[in-house]
Amino acid sequence: MASRVDVAVIGAGPAGLAAAIAAREQGAEKVLIIERAEQLGGLLPQCIHNGFGLLYFEQDMTGPEYEKAFIAKAMSLGVETRLETMVIDLDAERGITAVSRKHGYMRFKPGAVVLAMGCRERSRGAVGIPGTRPAGVLTAGTCQRFVNIEGYMPGTRYVVLGSGDIGMIMARRLTLEGAKVEAVVEIMPWPGGLIRNEVQCLHDFGIPLLLESTVTFIHGEERVEGVTVCRVDAERRPVEGTEKSYPCDCLLVSAGLIPENELSRKAGVELDPVTGGPVVDQNRQTSVPGVFAGGNVVQVHDLVDWVSWEAEAAGRAAARFADKGELKAAAGVRVMPGDNIKYVVPHTISGREDVTLHMRVTQPGLKATVKAGGILSKRFRSVRPSEMVVLDLKGEALKEAGLKGELVVDCEMRGGG
Amino acid sequence: MPAVETEILIIGAGILGAATARELSRYKADVTVVEKNVDVGWGITKANVGVVCQGRDTLEFRPEYHRTRLLWKALPLMEPLCKELEVPFKRVGAYLMIRDQVLKEKLDKLAKRTESLGLGADKYYPYPELKEKEPFISPEIKGGLHDPEIAVVHPVYLTQALMENATRNGVKLMLETEVTGIRADHTTFTVLTNRGEIKARYVINAAGEWVDKIAAMVGADDFVLFPIKGYVGVLDRNCAQLAGSLLAVLPEEPGDMNIVVPTVEGNLLFGIQLQINRRHDRSTTGHMARLALRNARKLIPEISEKDVINSFCGYLMFRNFEIGWHECEVAMSERVPRFINMTIGYPGVSASPGAALEVVEILQRDGLGLEPDPGFDPKREDIPDFSLLSERERKALIKRDPRYGHVVCRCETVTEGEIVEAIRRGATTLDGVKFRVRPGTGRCQGGFCGPRVTRIIARELGIPETEVTKSGGASTQVPLRTKQLLEKGGADG
Repeated sequence: MASRVDVAVIGAGPAGLAAAIAAREQGAEKVLIIERAEQLGGLLPQCIHNGFGLLYFEQDMTGPEYEKAFIAKAMSLGVETRLETMVIDLDAERGITAVSRKHGYMRFKPGAVVLAMGCRERSRGAVGIPGTRPAGVLTAGTCQRFVNIEGYMPGTRYVVLGSGDIGMIMARRLTLEGAKVEAVVEIMPWPGGLIRNEVQCLHDFGIPLLLESTVTFIHGEERVEGVTVCRVDAERRPVEGTEKSYPCDCLLVSAGLIPENELSRKAGVELDPVTGGPVVDQNRQTSVPGVFAGGNVVQVHDLVDWVSWEAEAAGRAAARFADKGELKAAAGVRVMPGDNIKYVVPHTISGREDVTLHMRVTQPGLKATVKAGGILSKRFRSVRPSEMVVLDLKGEALKEAGLKGELVVDCEMRGGG
Repeated sequence: MPAVETEILIIGAGILGAATARELSRYKADVTVVEKNVDVGWGITKANVGVVCQGRDTLEFRPEYHRTRLLWKALPLMEPLCKELEVPFKRVGAYLMIRDQVLKEKLDKLAKRTESLGLGADKYYPYPELKEKEPFISPEIKGGLHDPEIAVVHPVYLTQALMENATRNGVKLMLETEVTGIRADHTTFTVLTNRGEIKARYVINAAGEWVDKIAAMVGADDFVLFPIKGYVGVLDRNCAQLAGSLLAVLPEEPGDMNIVVPTVEGNLLFGIQLQINRRHDRSTTGHMARLALRNARKLIPEISEKDVINSFCGYLMFRNFEIGWHECEVAMSERVPRFINMTIGYPGVSASPGAALEVVEILQRDGLGLEPDPGFDPKREDIPDFSLLSERERKALIKRDPRYGHVVCRCETVTEGEIVEAIRRGATTLDGVKFRVRPGTGRCQGGFCGPRVTRIIARELGIPETEVTKSGGASTQVPLRTKQLLEKGGADG
């Protein structure tokens, strides 16, 4: 790098773009986004469906539309970018090593770093689907790239394992392409994605959703010839005698997303085993000073709008760090997941300023009350693990409560459901 | 199609066929290798975990067995061979461990035998000392016998390197050539294939899994082999610290093989419950996977399901316990002159350099005048591995060829330069590239790089992406363009 970079953002998806914009707006002079792909936007360019920006822009946009709005703003603010550039190392002193065809081998130390690498999909290998190993088994997101960006179809007749959002969206997309989607198979008793996707992508197209079921065998030598689907018991084990075979030439896997934290690990960033992402404070600062994180690299969101907002917080804080060379951890109070709460992000808060808590429940239920200590309680008609619960806490209320050390968040069912 | 004529025909380009081809390429001989797959090393060689075993196992390696002699002949050759061909070889050492103090006696016996055979003095470590060496071992383990010699290789890399070097030294390789029949007369074999006839004076049957079927084509099947399979799980590289050596539990029941194996690339493999198998069935079941994971966790409790990034079916051919033991594993058929069977099965990878030498000796004994070729070049240069290079080497490489600055596979840090070089050396498929330079073998299993590697293969081979396959035949990655199905009236149209 010729001149000093104030804030380096790793990843140009919705998180990276939002973080870079926020950092510039906060006053960081030179903000650089490093992106491994050929274009900006991360996965947004391949998300040609709608449902983006409903909260952020109060508009129903497609992925490319959402992305364009951010790219335009980033460009107008003079955010710099390096495309087809892979960050291959990040050290504990914020030293970045990156390579690209065009710029060769680069090493530099920015004033602050924002991790915005997003997440990856769980693969067939990670899910551990038994059977043979033919062509035609791929993740829903890879299929989405092939269809929407590259213009190719991996198959004609599909079964989708897992009812994650991308899987359901691809079931509809492939149907629109003339393919036949035999079924979407979900091991849990509830769908893995948003209700709106279950309705708009599966029900509206007559695609069966098989709950409490899983693929127990992949058949085929060279290409997938079919899969065996089984019901599962309460322990998620296949029930013998319930096998049903589905002929297909493609199996899509949409069985969860994992925050992409290989670089965070290299830098020695502390990770939360539950979220798979860094442990962060209210400013989205990680355990390594000057390294911030936002978006799906921290926690897998179900709405892009929250990715943008979270990354903006990280970007603003990174700019402040780059300016002063330090930023005190906003970590006076530890936020603890209580009853029926799987995790809460951020992991620590200042206890003095306004803060938004993101969390997921462990079990679904109707008529739920989510309580943050004695400070706030919010009622929900229903809660599901696939839909993030968001609580806004006011700084005044927090100060008044005079929290000592920790804040426990619980989800109680009011019954009757 | 005019018949191909060759002096020596090797059937099968697995580890044994490749090692033999490479050994023969030292001589002025006319050698052809036929392989039915689209690439080399894709039969049972690919289903091998790559342990270079030492033959200390009492039951399987009695000194009077031919396989034991082959193995011992091979062992000193393996490391220099790997060095010459620039393929990774890691002497990881092994601990053979017990969970029950009563079994200590068995380990003592084993150690005594090893010593009496002149194979070294293996030391026993009780748990507290073992823990210092391998801190993640379960406290349930009482102790383990250390074999410092055990090494690992990547069987497919080694096969590719052997074959690359053999073809460089004049051996002809015919891929996608499947033998369908063999006729023999006094002087010549006529080998029928899907690509026409091949006439050969000698036939070396190195068909691995199908060695008996090939032998039967000419009536030389005076041996019995049966397949055994097991589940092998692959752990994320992040788990590399969990085991520095090969860790194995002394089997308490037959087939009870509970091992954790470090690979040359820094992943750990775990498995495998061996079971007798139907021929060619490489599938794994959920039951096998659960059992293997449970066993592995008994060895190293920190192994987690979350860290399993892939799995495959380990697959071996075994000689029949009843009637196969005392026969030779590499021999000219007594029924069919000039037809040599290589029936080692297990441990084919470890014994391969010895087996190749044996073939040369058999041919010489039969009167084939093998004259050394002064032009033989034993060296092969490996494809640069960007992930392992120093900063200075990386800079130099990118300067020489900027494609080495384009990282295509994030998880394994594989560059476009490496992928292009793999294709130049014979990879024509996604698996061909993957089994040379690793894109798609990491934690995301090709989620990011899959479409990009497909594009590079299409570009380099000058074929449409719709023709790029995973592993040849009908295994196309993206068989259709978008809108094609709609034009046909949909999936049922």
